Amino acid sequence: MPSRIASTGVVCLLAALLGSIIVPVAAATTTDADQGLMIDHFDPETGKRIIPNERCLICHGDDQQKTDVRDDGSPVQIFVHREQIESSVHGSLQCTSCHVTIDRVPHREAPAVIVGCVECHRETWAEHKDDPDGEYERLAVVNEQIDSYLQSIHAQPHALDQSHTNATCYDCHQGHNVGELGSIQRAEFRLNNPEVCGDCHEAQLDEYRTSTHGKLVLEDGDSDAAVCSDCHTTHDIAPAETDKAKLAITQNCGNCHEAAQRTYFKSYHGQVHRLGYTDAAKCHDCHGGHLVKGEDDPTSEIHADNRLENCRNCHEEANENFLSFWPHGDAHDRENYPELWGFRVFMEILIFAVMAFFWVHVLLWLFRELMDRSQGKGFVEDLSKPDLVYFRRFPVVWRWIHFLFAIATMVLILTGTTLLFSHTAWAKAVVEFLGGIRMEGIIHRTAAVIWLSIFIAHLAIATSNIWRKRKTFEWFGSTSMVPSMKDFCDLRDMFKWFLGRGPRPQFSHWTYWQKFDYWAPFWGATVIGISGLILFMPDKTSLILPGWTFNIANLVHAEEALLAAIFLNSVHFFNVHFRPERFPMSTAIFTGVIPIDEFKHDHRLEYERLVEAGELDKHLVHRPSRRMSLAASFITTVLIMAGLALLTLVLIGLVTLPR
Amino acid sequence: MKNNQSVIAATAVPIGLSARLHILSLAIIAMLVLAPAWVCAGPSGQAMSFTCAGCHGTDGSSVGPSMPAIAGMDPEVFVDAMKAYREDKRNATIMNRIAKAYTDEQFQEMAWFFASQRLRLFPQPYDTVLAERGAELHDDYCEKCHEQGGRPGDAGTLAGQWMPYLHFTMEDFLNGKRKWPRKMQRKVDAAIEEAGDDAIPALINYYGSQQ
Repeated sequence: MPSRIASTGVVCLLAALLGSIIVPVAAATTTDADQGLMIDHFDPETGKRIIPNERCLICHGDDQQKTDVRDDGSPVQIFVHREQIESSVHGSLQCTSCHVTIDRVPHREAPAVIVGCVECHRETWAEHKDDPDGEYERLAVVNEQIDSYLQSIHAQPHALDQSHTNATCYDCHQGHNVGELGSIQRAEFRLNNPEVCGDCHEAQLDEYRTSTHGKLVLEDGDSDAAVCSDCHTTHDIAPAETDKAKLAITQNCGNCHEAAQRTYFKSYHGQVHRLGYTDAAKCHDCHGGHLVKGEDDPTSEIHADNRLENCRNCHEEANENFLSFWPHGDAHDRENYPELWGFRVFMEILIFAVMAFFWVHVLLWLFRELMDRSQGKGFVEDLSKPDLVYFRRFPVVWRWIHFLFAIATMVLILTGTTLLFSHTAWAKAVVEFLGGIRMEGIIHRTAAVIWLSIFIAHLAIATSNIWRKRKTFEWFGSTSMVPSMKDFCDLRDMFKWFLGRGPRPQFSHWTYWQKFDYWAPFWGATVIGISGLILFMPDKTSLILPGWTFNIANLVHAEEALLAAIFLNSVHFFNVHFRPERFPMSTAIFTGVIPIDEFKHDHRLEYERLVEAGELDKHLVHRPSRRMSLAASFITTVLIMAGLALLTLVLIGLVTLPR
Repeated sequence: MKNNQSVIAATAVPIGLSARLHILSLAIIAMLVLAPAWVCAGPSGQAMSFTCAGCHGTDGSSVGPSMPAIAGMDPEVFVDAMKAYREDKRNATIMNRIAKAYTDEQFQEMAWFFASQRLRLFPQPYDTVLAERGAELHDDYCEKCHEQGGRPGDAGTLAGQWMPYLHFTMEDFLNGKRKWPRKMQRKVDAAIEEAGDDAIPALINYYGSQQ
């Protein structure tokens, strides 16, 4: 072979080889530069795939194919509204911000819907809570709700499957459709609330549909009517049978039904509720919970035909008279409850009149005694000659009766005013300390029985004393408790003395204020005793009395007790213990005796009468022993301190009383 | 105690010449033992990927029609494939043998290398009628997973892929030699039901037509 041919062949071969390499390379096209490189679809820091929302919406945003089938062949809803997501508060997030388990598209395995709302909201708030622009401030509320939710029954493990909570965020919130405050989405969410809750609570939804609330919301689209969360709260959900839930629901009724709640809280039922107990009737006990309807609806629990049966749920012995009870009786509503209004006005005038009169009396007396003492007048103990002779004022039986009566009265004031001032923290604390509302009821009723028994025993003793002396007893005599004209003259003269226009009047065995202190409890015991007995046994007393007497009894019992509590612990204390001549206390009611000089000063007329009749010696005794004096001082101190404490609590209750 | 102290004192004498030579020889032996490991620590993803070029073309842009282009390939799809080959879970020619030599980390590095390359496509003959039909079928049954006409992504690379390779692959699926990805069989069956025997050729021509 000529070398030229050979070399030509080699060149051709080389050219062919070169061509086979160059031609395809020259003809090749590269993928679109706009697409970027594959590696750009991965996060350079974490190496994780970046899945744009558009990629998800290819399948999940296709309204032609809203369902897919699972691996087991069952259908599954996969559609989400692109517009809803974009206009929701989460519109700017990536799908995978929440759906963190999604790392491959198409999904290699059936994806688990695992969304951790709590962690993300907490972390985001922690990161942005100090931002000056306040863009994330709503997250403060969200985090409060999260805390409430985590304490709620919904966050507890499901009873039949502990791997799940009873409900989680997205069972109620549509994560793709959480609207801004004031948005249409939120309005729709509110109206849809019963249906959302009804997904699990089916029976309750069925009942709610028939209620006044349910019809307004579900049929009329009235967003002002109550939905589930208005009563049950949104996140702080407690099991319906718990006290917490019952108390919260009753409280929440008042958010709309303000007047009804105000009058309810004035009633015994409401007072018990406000103390934090569920033992008495709550809104839903009478009105029906999910079935709540107006009283004109024959199927309503408060319809006239159904009301008695309703009362009998608690008051098993209830009779027809219960129907005339005013559960929402309003003592300030003259038009609808004139009787109740009348009793209130009477009782309030009585309280104001008595207290105004005696507080003026107290202040003037204080003023006069201070003025006198500054001038060296009045009864001043001579320390160089201590009294050795004492005058016996009270025999043992009256001392015991006063002691027990004082104790019982204080117990009654403490336990009774917790109901009257159930809005205060101290009332709640006292009831809890005593062992709950039922224990408090037992204590109050026990003290009431003792109190009335003492009162009746005292009447029996007094009557028998008078009976024994019936031939010589002088009804208006110097030792009689019966008020006489002299008492009114003394009162007038005392005011003159207060104002510096006359001498201090001279008194007989009992002064007018001592007689008032004695007779006032007669009125009080009658009013409080009778009204108390009516309330004590509602089933029995309703056999003879109409239901509204409970309203009246409740009102006057409280008002009269209030009067007694304030009077005894202020005016009585001043007259007996705190006026400068006696300060800090008189122990006479426990030792039974007073120094003879004090007797001469305070009861001059009786002293002179006894001296004249030669009977003084019969009443004179030795000074009480030191032990006796200490014991009396101790008991008096304890009772005075207790009385002042009660007065303080009552005044706190009065000042903070809600309108 | 005393004995121990005397032993320590005995070793504290200056080191002699023979002892120095002994230490030097130990150091040399240590270097000889450790050196291969030090040298082996280094082949980069790029270096390892050059070994693929014989079949899959320079930087993964294949020029052999039965060899799939792997440039610009989704790295997770790449790793999945390599692991499947290594564990004999995917029908292979020789890839199952090759894959067995690499670790997970090496797969990852190679994956990042190919993901960093731009895919170069080479013209190949196709049937325009079938390609048009294939485009319709693709939109109806394939687009949701093989998005944008089958461009490289998490469902592999179809657009511009070598048609013979696609043909072999689909045969493997249809013959049961390769496990269907989730949901794919349902979609392919639906496409075949609609277009009959033309379905697979139409789709392959459609992908091949994207140059």
